[in-house]
Amino acid sequence: MAETKTKSGTIVHPHYGCTVGAAYTVAAIKGGVPIANCGPGCMYKQFFLISFDNGFQGSAGAGGGNIPSANVGENDIVFGGTKKLDDLIRSSLAILKGDLYVVLTGCSGELIGDDVESVVRKYREQGFPIVCAETGGFKGTNLTGHEIVVESIINQYVGDYDGEKEQGLVNLWFDVPYFHQNWRGDYLEIVRILRASGLKVNVLFGPQSGGAKEWKNIPKAQFNLVISPWVGLKTAKLLERKYGQPYLHIPEIPIGEEATTAFIRQVVEFAGISKRKSEAFIKEESELYYYFLEHFAEFFSEYWFGLPSQFAVIGDSAYTLAYTKFLASQIGMIPVKQIITDNPPPRYREKIAEYFHNLAEDVSVEPEFIEDGYLVEESLSNTDFGSGVPLILGTTWESDVAREKKGLLIEVGPPTTEEVAINKTYIGYRGAFTLLERIYSAAVGGK
Amino acid sequence: MAKKINLEMTSVENREMRLGTIIAWDGAASDLVKESDYEGRKEKKKGNDIPREKQGGCCGNGSKACRLCELKTPLNQQTMCANAIVECQIGNLTDCILIQHSPIGCAADNAWFNLAFKMGLTRRHKPVQNLKIFCTNLLEKDMVFGASDKLRQAIRDAKERFAPKAIFISMACATAIIGEDIDSIADEMEPEVGVPVIPLHCEGFRSKHWSTGFDISQHGVAQKIVKRNPKKQKDLINIVALWGTDYFTDILKPLGLRVNYMIDCANYDELAQASEAVATSTFCHTLGSYMATVLEQHFGVPQIDAPQPYGFAGTDAWLRAIAKIVGKEKETEEYIKSEHERVMPKILELREKFKGVKGFVMTGSAYAHGLISVLRELGIEVDGSVVFHHDPVYDGAAENQNSLKHLVDNYGDIPHYTVSKTQAYQLPQVFRRVKTDFVIIRHQGLAPEAAKLGIPALAMGDEHIPVGYDGMIRTGEILLDILARKRFNQVLQRHVELPYTKWWQSQDDPFILSKEPEILDKALSEKLKKKGA
Repeated sequence: MAETKTKSGTIVHPHYGCTVGAAYTVAAIKGGVPIANCGPGCMYKQFFLISFDNGFQGSAGAGGGNIPSANVGENDIVFGGTKKLDDLIRSSLAILKGDLYVVLTGCSGELIGDDVESVVRKYREQGFPIVCAETGGFKGTNLTGHEIVVESIINQYVGDYDGEKEQGLVNLWFDVPYFHQNWRGDYLEIVRILRASGLKVNVLFGPQSGGAKEWKNIPKAQFNLVISPWVGLKTAKLLERKYGQPYLHIPEIPIGEEATTAFIRQVVEFAGISKRKSEAFIKEESELYYYFLEHFAEFFSEYWFGLPSQFAVIGDSAYTLAYTKFLASQIGMIPVKQIITDNPPPRYREKIAEYFHNLAEDVSVEPEFIEDGYLVEESLSNTDFGSGVPLILGTTWESDVAREKKGLLIEVGPPTTEEVAINKTYIGYRGAFTLLERIYSAAVGGK
Repeated sequence: MAKKINLEMTSVENREMRLGTIIAWDGAASDLVKESDYEGRKEKKKGNDIPREKQGGCCGNGSKACRLCELKTPLNQQTMCANAIVECQIGNLTDCILIQHSPIGCAADNAWFNLAFKMGLTRRHKPVQNLKIFCTNLLEKDMVFGASDKLRQAIRDAKERFAPKAIFISMACATAIIGEDIDSIADEMEPEVGVPVIPLHCEGFRSKHWSTGFDISQHGVAQKIVKRNPKKQKDLINIVALWGTDYFTDILKPLGLRVNYMIDCANYDELAQASEAVATSTFCHTLGSYMATVLEQHFGVPQIDAPQPYGFAGTDAWLRAIAKIVGKEKETEEYIKSEHERVMPKILELREKFKGVKGFVMTGSAYAHGLISVLRELGIEVDGSVVFHHDPVYDGAAENQNSLKHLVDNYGDIPHYTVSKTQAYQLPQVFRRVKTDFVIIRHQGLAPEAAKLGIPALAMGDEHIPVGYDGMIRTGEILLDILARKRFNQVLQRHVELPYTKWWQSQDDPFILSKEPEILDKALSEKLKKKGA
């Protein structure tokens, strides 16, 4: 590829959706119904990058490929779209089962300045659980949208609270649903770990969540747990102000025994609960973990035909860090190119880079922050992977470069069109081995 | 010849204006044929005035323009838009670049069309590559201060990075609302980059149906790429297609024809040579009619005036119409005869297997007409269908292109023929009214709902599967695999609920809200009462 510099902020091969993609944050809440105050194609477009072409995740309930939508037309642009929105809300409430309805306004509605709040307020005042979020696509990524939607639900649905806090109850702010293709499996593993360690968990998304009811319990929690380099911090700060809840920020999603054990000890310490349960759980899980690792060691030491060593990760801040850390510090692979594509706000970038500087003793890598897929691929293309087969944890967009470099591409982020994600996790105690199985099955099978 | 399309304009008149397209209707297919008044509209397109009293299919009296009745529903679910269609057309060219002048969300389906593109390239035996669509990635400050410089720079970046043969710019809702002038920027940048720069006015809100996006894409290609001084290629036929397998070559080889597929997976030169072909046809009039008509009106390339090539009747007539143009009538009669003899034993075998089986089609409009013919050739009963829009006439306004009439005349009526734009919430009613053993779908959101009602779906991703004589066999064999999946759907049905309220599921009419909108208020107040109690 020719040397080139982008001057315009143009993006080829996007790795994220826009703000209104947070409809999938709503879809991930049990009983949550997104209502799109959007143009006709908006939900269709988000559906692909965030759900279908991201491990073909599918959905339960009202959130899948047929989100209620105003399908804003020319008349609505000229004469205003509130009547149409009102019809849409009324019929959605009557026809779609749900405990929490969230109206997301896209570019059109925001630019023409419809008074969405007053339409929504009317239904809220009648007693319907409904909120609205200003998520015009020009406001940024679906991660920005995720934080906007979470904030809207907290402010408009969860509301004020001045009651007691419950010791040992934690609000879990973790994977961004759908955006992280293994989110369902990831939540299962993290919730399993937290509960087994003696904590009570408000699970806000996914299969173990109580849905909208559970959101109502947010103010009762002792503290908020943010597991991500940056997404969720804004929410935690809001909750700190609103409900006086402290928060614990753990930037690294734990993978493998050592990281997961350290994670548990940090959370239990912060919560100030008894260590008896957590230590017993750590002991049990560690024994299991090393039982399996010993088996794996035979293959890893004795496979005659070569295994990948130098690796790249292309992904969002959270998983680029998590995968890089595990493979570098626990497996002894060599990180050679780590590209962060989720456009973290500038104020977090230095901190995020620091995490990559301290992956293990003597293991450090300088991450790149690139959003334009063309430049991502160019950077990857210019990477020296040494003598072995390059391993690339990335997305479908990196497939041309992977082919050019005769590398092994495992799709782990959006878009992913060569993996099917159902109940899968690569994190915690149990997921670490699924990740190793995935990498090394591909390595020995050549694909 | 139909009213001439104006290639001087950069924008295209919407389908609802040009053709009288509707997106919601419910009744018997034979009634829609009558109401559509293809004949009358055809005459009108030709510029002949029809006295008001002789015009059929008017909704209400006295209106100047004769419109089809259309149902209005308060609840709509997500659909495609014209901007997405342009991505799937222009964004799937191998050596041209599409720039989406929009916030990043408009590019979020790039990945889907990438998958389709790569499948298509494989099917057409072309080197597989990821698509390369640009998005100007507009942010809040661009909404305030304008984004023209970003677009200019994106055009330069596209040129520098990929040296494309042409650059297209697509308009989005946001850029249309803030008034970005993509026409002027295209004019201004064209000399600098030295290749055609083509603006496409496909903002999502402008047309009520996404298929206007096909016309916009084709308009841009015809305007700027198709050769003005063609050198006739007497063995070349244009087939306006999507990503389907190259079955048309097999079908047309005996007539001595080579196929020029457009637009998906084509390159610049293949599009340019469209004016050199002897004729244009398509697997679907919804898709291909605008291009075929433009090529006919402006480049003298005739369009095939025939039904679409599905089932025996359609394929026979289609081949005969092509034979007439290339002067191979006699050979074609022999070819048709031998093809019938070749496929008939297998078709009879399939008819035996499909005895008592019922099917249902949920796809784009003209394509559904073709698919239903194929199902009925296979002896499958089809009592209902959902199509995503209806064009009462096509741009070509040709004698023999009335595809719905062709279907009804040759294969009988469809008692429950529903026009509805991917509205999954209507499916509980639709499938209570019409029993079926499977559905054939294109477009997202419908199959998963049918699945929960116990109905397996054939997602017809390779749209050429049902085309021609062998298409009947191909379709039949795939359907045998799909019918076996019913076990999966029955498991699902036993354990998984639909996302709709009991009240809605108890309704019988999918369009009840259009007819009795007041029942919504009652349903809501009852819901509140229940909650309070």
